[in-house]
Amino acid sequence: MARMNRRTLLKTGAGIGGLAAAGSVIGTPLIAQSRSLKVGSYGGYFENSFKEFVYPEFTAATGITVESVTQPNSADWLVTMQQAVPAGSIPTDISLYGRDSMIKASRIGGLIAPLDISAIPKAENLDSYFVFDGPEGPQGVGAMSWFTSMVINPNEVETPGSWTEFWDTEKFEASLGLSNVHSSGLLDITAATFFDGEETMMSNEGILAILDKIRELKPNVTLWWNAESQMEQGMKNGDVIGGQYYLDVANLMAADGFPIKATFPKEGNLQDYGSWCLTTGSEKSAEAAEFMNFSSDPATQALMSRKIGTAPLVDKAMTDLTDEEFAFVSGSPSIKPAYEAYLDNETFIKESWDKMLAES
Amino acid sequence: MTVSENIQIAAERSPALVRRISPKTVLYAALSTLVVVFCIVPFILVIVISFGRKVDGAGWVWDLTFDNYQRFFVGVLWPDEVTFLYLQQLGNSFYFAVIASVLAVLTALPFTLLLTRLKRSAQAIWLVFILASLSMSEVFIVMGWDILLSNNSGLPKLFQVTGFTQWLKDVGWFQTLRDIGLANPRNVKFKPSGFATILTMSYLVWPYAVILLYPAFSRLDPSLAEAARTMGANRWTVIRTVTLPAIRLPLMGTTLLLFVFLLGSYVSVSVFATPDKQTTAVAIYSNIRGSNLDAPFGSAQAVILLISASVCLCFGHLLNSKAEAR
Repeated sequence: MARMNRRTLLKTGAGIGGLAAAGSVIGTPLIAQSRSLKVGSYGGYFENSFKEFVYPEFTAATGITVESVTQPNSADWLVTMQQAVPAGSIPTDISLYGRDSMIKASRIGGLIAPLDISAIPKAENLDSYFVFDGPEGPQGVGAMSWFTSMVINPNEVETPGSWTEFWDTEKFEASLGLSNVHSSGLLDITAATFFDGEETMMSNEGILAILDKIRELKPNVTLWWNAESQMEQGMKNGDVIGGQYYLDVANLMAADGFPIKATFPKEGNLQDYGSWCLTTGSEKSAEAAEFMNFSSDPATQALMSRKIGTAPLVDKAMTDLTDEEFAFVSGSPSIKPAYEAYLDNETFIKESWDKMLAES
Repeated sequence: MTVSENIQIAAERSPALVRRISPKTVLYAALSTLVVVFCIVPFILVIVISFGRKVDGAGWVWDLTFDNYQRFFVGVLWPDEVTFLYLQQLGNSFYFAVIASVLAVLTALPFTLLLTRLKRSAQAIWLVFILASLSMSEVFIVMGWDILLSNNSGLPKLFQVTGFTQWLKDVGWFQTLRDIGLANPRNVKFKPSGFATILTMSYLVWPYAVILLYPAFSRLDPSLAEAARTMGANRWTVIRTVTLPAIRLPLMGTTLLLFVFLLGSYVSVSVFATPDKQTTAVAIYSNIRGSNLDAPFGSAQAVILLISASVCLCFGHLLNSKAEAR
């Protein structure tokens, strides 16, 4: 080993000091530019719109660049996260979760990190319901909302005023497309239409009564869809002439000239919402807070409504959305999913639902 | 002392040890490790997870409970209530796999027999074509049939524009189609239905059937059949008593292989089967990757499906060896 004397030590020290000084001058703008954030969203048109319209605005406002990551809109993502977080190779800094997945993530633990709400002042704009308080403190900030709406083919059938008309075999024999996933809203819609809504969902007897009612609907359903694209194709191909589908996509399809019309019956449509959650192990909590703050701004909410077709989570009055723009993405009344029932009584609801579907 | 010296001394001390660690041994060890890591470990993991426990509203935890297996046979509410939902799904798996594999082999049989009688060059072209069609994934095939069976772009449209739908309505058969779920008030519809599911599944494995049958068929000695013909047997008698017995084993083997392959078929069933005909494979997926994150129950279903398939294979093997002994 080379012997180190006082002189060489001083020289080396001066050199390092000089480098550090130079680095602090040259490096500062570089560091500011290289601030970045990996944000997950649901892929396809949805993600593309984010990349094209929302992320650039955010980068312009904060200097933080966004790397977009495609993630599924389901508990699927939790399985991925459960494997990725302990392995230390997290795919996103911020992920987008539906409320049920978010609650599941918080209960599983170690997947979504608590947030410093004081760094997200604009979250004040949202109803407090949309800032999720998990077991470890605030763990999610509302991102946007979406409706699952009644849709029909206007060339084949008149617009129903109520969900009850879907039960009319004269009108809809073997013609409807509904989701085959127990938690996708048909239970809530049926509860709101024929029973006492969420209250009926809270007991096993209530669930069975609702399922009996859905059993009566089965002869009218031709497509129990699993993937969104199946319903899209079904409407385009004329295999189905009505059913439940996402309001924003339905309106986009209608704008493209396909025979589909989304409508709000008197009982309303199902409204769910997504939240931004910080992935445990992410080193970008400061950038993430800035992103959530940006997203909670009424201007951003309006931007998302216009460009992505989601419903804003802030009052319409706070945004500059016109009535027409607002009607494209939102409406009333809204039916809220019985999250608590779905979570606490999950196994029973799923098995009873599957049993009902499997009867011939 | 250098490292090379060390090795040299070690080699001199134990020549037997060095000989034992030959490249061949290393290769065997590496391959065994690969098999253990990539085949056996995931397999054991599935079995271990199947004894885990689902926590409602969250994920699942490791445990040692037989509840998932019990649930498969009698449902989650047992003993208050019994459901055979999962047995019904297992039955559906067998129903589709048996019919589709038998159908594929039955239709591939005459085709392959005729194929072996073509000129060598023509055979080669057909085989290359069939091999190439294997590159199409299940998703692609299902998508194709989905379009072919759709109302505005497929067969129903053809029925409508050619007036066949109207004719069916006129003679009164349309009502029968509506009753069995193959029509809505406007037109005939072919999906979802058992028909579409079986059609797609057979189509999916048909090239495999041809390729598996071809080697055995091409080795068939034509002089046997010719001898039978010269001795006065008619064509049908020849097929029944000479050709079929000679190819019985490859026929059985092919059917069994396709059957096991189709047991796990996912896309065709989830897209084309009616809700009452969904299979265990679809249920496994909806439990493991679906919204409810019940990997333990999904794993238990997978283990039971695997055991059922193994029993079938053993049974087939038994039949084969009995037939050969005779």
